[in-house]
Formats: sequence, structure tokens, C-alpha cells
Amino acid sequence: METIRNYLESMFQKLPNTAEVQRAKFELGQMMEDKYTELKNEGKSENEAIGIVISEFGNLDELAVDLGISGYMNPNNNMAGKQVTLAEVKDYLKDKIRSGYMIGLGVLLCICSPCGALLSDYIGWFDFVGILFLFAFIALAVGLFIFAGAMMEKWSYLQNQPCSIDFSTAEYVHGQRENYRMTNAMMNTVGVIFCCCCFIPLVIMDELGVGNLFEGIGVVILFLFVGIGVYFLIAASYRNSAYETILKLNERGTMGASFVASQKEVYRYTNKIVAAVMSVYWPTVTCIYISWSFLSADWHITWIIWVIASLVENFIKNAFRE
Amino acid sequence: MVSISSDVIRGYNDTIILYLLLDKPSYGYEISKQIKTLSKEKYVIKETTLYSAFTRMEKNGYIESFFDEDMSNGKRRTYYRITEAGRQYYTDKCAEWKLTKEVVERFIEEEKGNGNN
Repeated sequence: METIRNYLESMFQKLPNTAEVQRAKFELGQMMEDKYTELKNEGKSENEAIGIVISEFGNLDELAVDLGISGYMNPNNNMAGKQVTLAEVKDYLKDKIRSGYMIGLGVLLCICSPCGALLSDYIGWFDFVGILFLFAFIALAVGLFIFAGAMMEKWSYLQNQPCSIDFSTAEYVHGQRENYRMTNAMMNTVGVIFCCCCFIPLVIMDELGVGNLFEGIGVVILFLFVGIGVYFLIAASYRNSAYETILKLNERGTMGASFVASQKEVYRYTNKIVAAVMSVYWPTVTCIYISWSFLSADWHITWIIWVIASLVENFIKNAFRE
Repeated sequence: MVSISSDVIRGYNDTIILYLLLDKPSYGYEISKQIKTLSKEKYVIKETTLYSAFTRMEKNGYIESFFDEDMSNGKRRTYYRITEAGRQYYTDKCAEWKLTKEVVERFIEEEKGNGNN
């Protein structure tokens, strides 16, 4: 049945997404499914049934005039552009994800680049050691950026020219993204936590009053935490955007764009109460933030509400999503 | 083996479908199955041909479509039912065919002496 579904989807992929075309696809799919079921019940093998159904499907040209799609039937009409194969898509995802790690690491190095200088300042080393560190880190980071950029160069056509993917590829990428969803939430959470907690070691060192060296280490840890946090955020967002890029390749307005339901990010919650609460989530958070801030005047700390709220939102979205 | 020419039969797909709808409404696969059985598997209508006939006849007002549940498995599907205009059209097409057949048959050489009855 999967083969038949693939066949039907790819037949309709490049047609405009109109009510008539959708109906035609639905009806034809229904007839094929009925025929397939009956053939299977008659004791035909999977392959035989599929072969018969597909050979008796006919030709969409017959429907061109009725559906007002004659313009799409011309084989020279290359509106949907280059067809990207599953193998290419897999390569692209691999490269894009890897480039995310590289860029994340590069940014981490940039953020941590002053650490050497700071440390040598605190403990009274020669300044040039710190400067050496600074340049070494930045050079390494730039190297990573250039390498990642060069690696992604060959994929620039995905953005610059019209491309399309077939149904089974869309399903594959969608599956990959679904698998990754939890990890994505985790990486974002860890990233935010690192960023939020970056000043804690410094505060502790400062309170303890254990001397310059430890205070210096506190500062280094601060930078390191921010760097690690940002690394996680970048890596996660690159991976997500890799999936997004592929799933959005099919031209909007064609049937191909509706292969995977979740291409449009619509959150549906399994629980009605949660759905109701979530619809007023951010206004409520804003109210709390403003009330608390004005009533207590603790502006220096109330911003933490936003961080917590976004964590809670991510958690709820993942826990109660359909 | 001789097979049917789709060019010739095309003009009579509508007639065939309308005939099958005369008694009761039906749906896509059932109609295609009946065509296959009644023609003793000599004519198998393609899905696209069938659907294109449905949309064309619906536009012309010969048939109407509606959603209903299948009695046997509770599946919701599109059913088609014949209209008054459709019955009229069917009668006209039958008369047309009789005439066509009469004319064409004049020019068909009977297979003589082949032992066919």
C-alpha cells in the first residue's frame, strides 16, 4: 500500500494545490485502495496487487482539462525545478548538522578567546601569553567558519534554484525531525541553563574571597559556560533548520507542499485544558512580569521570568503535543 | 488477441457508467469492478478515465455526488447518483448507439465458413 501511496503522491506532486486537484487525488486514492484491498483478499501477492493497481491507474493527462491543470502537464514545464534525491538529502543533512557543530565550536572559541588574557592578568603572567591565546583561539574559530562555509557551498543551490523532493523523501526527513524533537528540546534547555548559570561560579568564588587566582578561574568559567550554552543553541538550531530547509523545498501552492502535515508548525495539544491555557500563555507571562516588577521594583531579577517561561513553554509543548 | 480500442469506447464510457447507476447510487471502485465483470474482463476502465467521466458528467448535470458510509465496512466515500437529465441523456445515447451499430455493421465482413456456428 505504501508503494501505491508513493506512486499517487508523486503523480500529483507538481500539480497546483486546489480543491479540484485535492478531490481528484482523494477519489483516485480511494479507488486504488479499494482495488488493492480486493486483490489482496482474492489472494494476490503484494507485488501482483501493486502491479495491477498501478497498470490500471491510467494517465493524469485525461484529467488535465477537467481540473484546469493543462499548463502543468507539459513536460517542458519545469516549474518544480530540480528533483533532489533521497541520497542527496541525506548528504545535505549530514553536512549541515556537521557545519552546525563547527560553527557552534567556532563561536565557543570566540567567546572564550579573552580567557587567556584575563587569566594571565589575574595571576600576573606576561601579557603576551594572553594575547597569544586570544589570537590562537580566534584563528582556530575563523578556520572552522571558513571550513564550514566551504562545506556548505555545494548546497547553495537548494536555496538559489527551485528544487523539489518526492513523497518518500519528505516522509524520511519528517521522521528524522520527529525523532530529533526531544533531543532538540533538551539541547535548547541545556543551552539556556548554561547561559543562565554562567555567573554562579564567579559569585561563589567572590563570596569565598579565595584570592585572585580563583576569581580569575571564576571569570574563565563564566565565559566557558556562555560558550557551551551558545554551542548547544547553535548546534540545535542548525540541525532544525536543516530539516526545515528540506521540508520547505516543494513549491508552495503545489500538492507537493502538503506531503507532510507538520510542515506548517501548528501545535495541537492532546489535552483541552492545556490548549486553553497555552492560548493565553504569553499574555499571562507578560502580566506576571509587569505586575511583579512594578510592585516589587526588583527589575534586576524579574527578567528571569522570561527564561523560566520559555523553558516551561518548551516543556509543555513537547509533553502535550499530539 | 483482439483488445478493445480506447478511442472507440471513449464515447460510450458515459453510457456504461450511467447504466450502472440506473438502479442505485454507486461509487468509483464498485463501478469499475462491475464494468470488468459485466464485460467478462474484456474492458477494464482506467481509474483516471473513470474519474474524468465522473467530473464531466457532474458538471453537465447527469450525475450528483454525495458522501455516505459504506454499509459493509463503515468507510465514508463519495457516491454518485443519476439525475433526471442523466436518464434522458442515457436514453439518447442508447438510441445513438443503436443507429451507430446498425450503420457500422453494414460494413463489417462476417467471418464466413470459419466454423463459427
